[in-house]
Amino acid sequence: MRRSRFPLIVCILGMLFFYLPILVLIVNSFNASRFSTVWGGFSLKWYALLFQQDDVWHALRNTMLIAVSATTVSMVLGTLAAFALHRFHSRLQDAHYTLVYTPLVMPDILMGIGLLLFFAALRIPLGLGTIFIAHVTFCVSYVAMVVLARLQDFDFSIVEAAQDLGAGPWTILWRILLPLLAPGILAGGLLAFSLSVDDFVITFFVSGPGSTTLPIKIYSMIKYGKPPLINALSTLILCVTFLLIWVSQRLREKRA
Amino acid sequence: MAAFLELRGVTKKFGDFTALNDVSLEIRRGEIFSLLGPSGCGKTTLLRVCAGFEQPDAGRVILDGHDITDLPPNRRRLNTIFQSYALFPHLTVRENIAFGLRVARRPAAEIKREVGQTLALMQLEEHADKRPALLSGGQKQRVAVARALINKPEILLLDEPLAALDLKLRQRMLVELDNIHDEVGITFIFVTHDQGEAMSISDRIAVMHEGRVEQIGTAAEIYEAPRTSFVAAFIGDTNFFDGQVLGPDTNPDYCQLAIEGFTDIISFNDKRLPTGQLAHLSIRPEKFRISRNPPPPDPFLNRISGTVEEIIYQGTHTNFWVRAGEYRVAVRQPHSRFKLDQEIITWKDAVWLSWHADDGCMLEQYRADDESLLSLPDPDDAHPAPGGTTGTTPPAASGRQRGIAT
Amino acid sequence: MSAASGLPAGQPTAVDNGAQIARRRQRQEWWISLPSVLWLLAFFLTPTLIVLAITFKPADPYGNIGAGWTLDTIRSLGNPNYPSIVWRTIWISVVATVICLVTAVPFGYYMARAPEKRKALLVMLVMVPFWTSFLIRIFAWKVLLHPEGYIHRFLRLFGIVNEGDLLLYNPEAVLLVLVYTYLPFAILPVYAAAEKFDFHLFEAALDLGCNRFSAFSRVFLPSIRRALVTAALVVFIPALGSYVIPDIVGGNASEMIGNKIAQRTFIDRNLPHAAGLAGILTLSTVIPMLIVLGVQRRQARVTVPRRKRGAT
Repeated sequence: MRRSRFPLIVCILGMLFFYLPILVLIVNSFNASRFSTVWGGFSLKWYALLFQQDDVWHALRNTMLIAVSATTVSMVLGTLAAFALHRFHSRLQDAHYTLVYTPLVMPDILMGIGLLLFFAALRIPLGLGTIFIAHVTFCVSYVAMVVLARLQDFDFSIVEAAQDLGAGPWTILWRILLPLLAPGILAGGLLAFSLSVDDFVITFFVSGPGSTTLPIKIYSMIKYGKPPLINALSTLILCVTFLLIWVSQRLREKRA
Repeated sequence: MAAFLELRGVTKKFGDFTALNDVSLEIRRGEIFSLLGPSGCGKTTLLRVCAGFEQPDAGRVILDGHDITDLPPNRRRLNTIFQSYALFPHLTVRENIAFGLRVARRPAAEIKREVGQTLALMQLEEHADKRPALLSGGQKQRVAVARALINKPEILLLDEPLAALDLKLRQRMLVELDNIHDEVGITFIFVTHDQGEAMSISDRIAVMHEGRVEQIGTAAEIYEAPRTSFVAAFIGDTNFFDGQVLGPDTNPDYCQLAIEGFTDIISFNDKRLPTGQLAHLSIRPEKFRISRNPPPPDPFLNRISGTVEEIIYQGTHTNFWVRAGEYRVAVRQPHSRFKLDQEIITWKDAVWLSWHADDGCMLEQYRADDESLLSLPDPDDAHPAPGGTTGTTPPAASGRQRGIAT
Repeated sequence: MSAASGLPAGQPTAVDNGAQIARRRQRQEWWISLPSVLWLLAFFLTPTLIVLAITFKPADPYGNIGAGWTLDTIRSLGNPNYPSIVWRTIWISVVATVICLVTAVPFGYYMARAPEKRKALLVMLVMVPFWTSFLIRIFAWKVLLHPEGYIHRFLRLFGIVNEGDLLLYNPEAVLLVLVYTYLPFAILPVYAAAEKFDFHLFEAALDLGCNRFSAFSRVFLPSIRRALVTAALVVFIPALGSYVIPDIVGGNASEMIGNKIAQRTFIDRNLPHAAGLAGILTLSTVIPMLIVLGVQRRQARVTVPRRKRGAT
């Protein structure tokens, strides 16, 4: 039987749809002309200009600060949550599961406005601290879900074997559980990190003066700034992203 | 011999399900003791209670005179071979084997020496630095055994250790385990659902069913003298006959039995069932002699007549189904000199079945449900399991028909 | 052998043993669960409930929350302006969902039937947008659709649009970028289900008299219906909460609830009003969500929604 070509065509068109805009953007970042449709020759001047934008670098610093701290905290909280959800089946865990699951499907803007109102009601000044809290809140759920998925594939007779061979709870934690679950926890952390670096909506609601993060900076550049500068910045970010994806992919292949 | 490991009235429930129901048993030092039963009978739970992975709801576990019921698994000198082997995937074979000694903080030099010896003993030296993922099933099994034995446990608990292996390897590992047992001389508790494994390796077997121990004995005891219909039906195959004790024979070890449709039935009555008691007689298919001519008279030889309904030739033996009164009797005749001394018996032949009074076994407990355990191949399908499996089916008239759970 | 007591008579029986274990287990459960439960209670559940409470608070002139209680917000939500925005939000989200599903099914189907090596590449290619900054991808479309952009010029070439026509700042642009953003999240669950599908069933269906189309619709689609529900939800719910996309590529005629919430928060600084709008949005997302949550929780404990937080 000959298969229909329709799915193949949809797939090819879909891929073009996904990647053409990004490609155009990258090409334009090397365009000397400030108009995106006129090729003014190859140039790196937008990159040079970008490196002079102190506020961009300041925003990057904020973003990294928050991403690293929020990822760390959410890895701890999320891993504990996954253990609890996996190990126990009680009414508490039903509620716990709902608490962990709901942020995953809730639109960002609701979480943003909720946290904003929460901080406003408690008169907590907005700034890096509030952004950190917000980021941990949504990252915990992702880490918990990734680790929980790994736990479900985990053969718990290994833990019993360790107990059987005389290991106490701490030995089991350090010698067995953490080494074996490290890939899952790291995968969850990587996801949390990328979400934190990329988050705009929630951050926008809970950021205050002086706590501009990179996405907020990009947003204001999109709204009010020079397109070529954003092209250059975007290209740099895309390169870093692709590099990270490539590295993590290589690591996974190596392990397998 | 004094008990080495003793369970006293152990009960374990999971929610509404009673996995172990007041189990008491004694295991002797140095023996291979098997827990045998179908899945869900509680044998693995019993093993886990011994290892300390499950806490019993009631009852005590006593090892060598000490109560270990409340000790966590890491403080019990028992080690387990898990069904899945549960090797640590992130550690090499060497590190896996050294794990118990490392946890016990033994000096590095000693660990090195002991691990080296164990690797040699188990012929694992060339795999010492591999991760478990790279090993074959048999090698994994050996690593699991090595990892447990290096700790010199008082008892080795084996949870279906051969279930993950293919048939050939299973037989080899069984011999290997037996050799290891001879070498180290520690007590083995062996959980299996495979009667062949249990019978070939064990000194004694506990047959379990629905959370209870049905019978404990040597392989021959449980096969030749099953106490319950469950044991009779689960181990090997058998025919069940319903009867009533008419009275003792001239020899008080025997009694006369009334079984509908048959006359002059005499049976060994080791349980001394009193006159008038309802009795269930279990007769294994190979205990019958089948012949076209009436068997020679003998006061201890029971005889019934019937008609051959089905014949299945099986190479080493032939299975017959003989209609005798209201019973459909499974008979197994071995072949020795097939052409010469076997009368040619064929479909619809009128035949005599005979068995010695000693070969029938009167059951203490009988449950009609257990008949469903008989691996009755439908003679019409004619694809019996290897080894030949047979059974009786009383006809529909008695209200029990094959295929209908009663 | 490790220390163990002898067997004096009258030691505690194992019956209270069971209760003791249960208590120890419960304590353990609390300690492990508490950190995440407390965090989420404080910073997720409380804020969500506060939104509802603040709807009934007055706004003070400094853009903060005033004292006392009022129904002003509820009353002003009756303003005919709002229902039309709510309808537009739902309508755009529904259309975006339908387009994503219709595209995702053949896409996922092709991926599932591709040779093993190509499969891995395709999954990778679908996943990459998932990891890349969504603001940048929206910006890329703004550039493309710009009156000086390639698409505008291309369409002008064929006379499809005229010089003065705008491709940006209308509901169609919002729809396009919504689909662009959420299509990968619809493809992945469809692919995952199609991968598990036994394509021999197709042959069986053809053998039993189906043609290719009816085999597809009667055998394939029903067996991936759970994935279709997941795919629909991971597009529909975030689309309802869209804010950035209509903000950047949409105009006045394509405002969605999200834009209004942001407007009330940042421009008018009327927080109770923003809260009221958020309440409406919550209601319209919570209902489908709870249904799916209930079903999934019963069937399997884990479904990591492959949605990336962000582009809304």
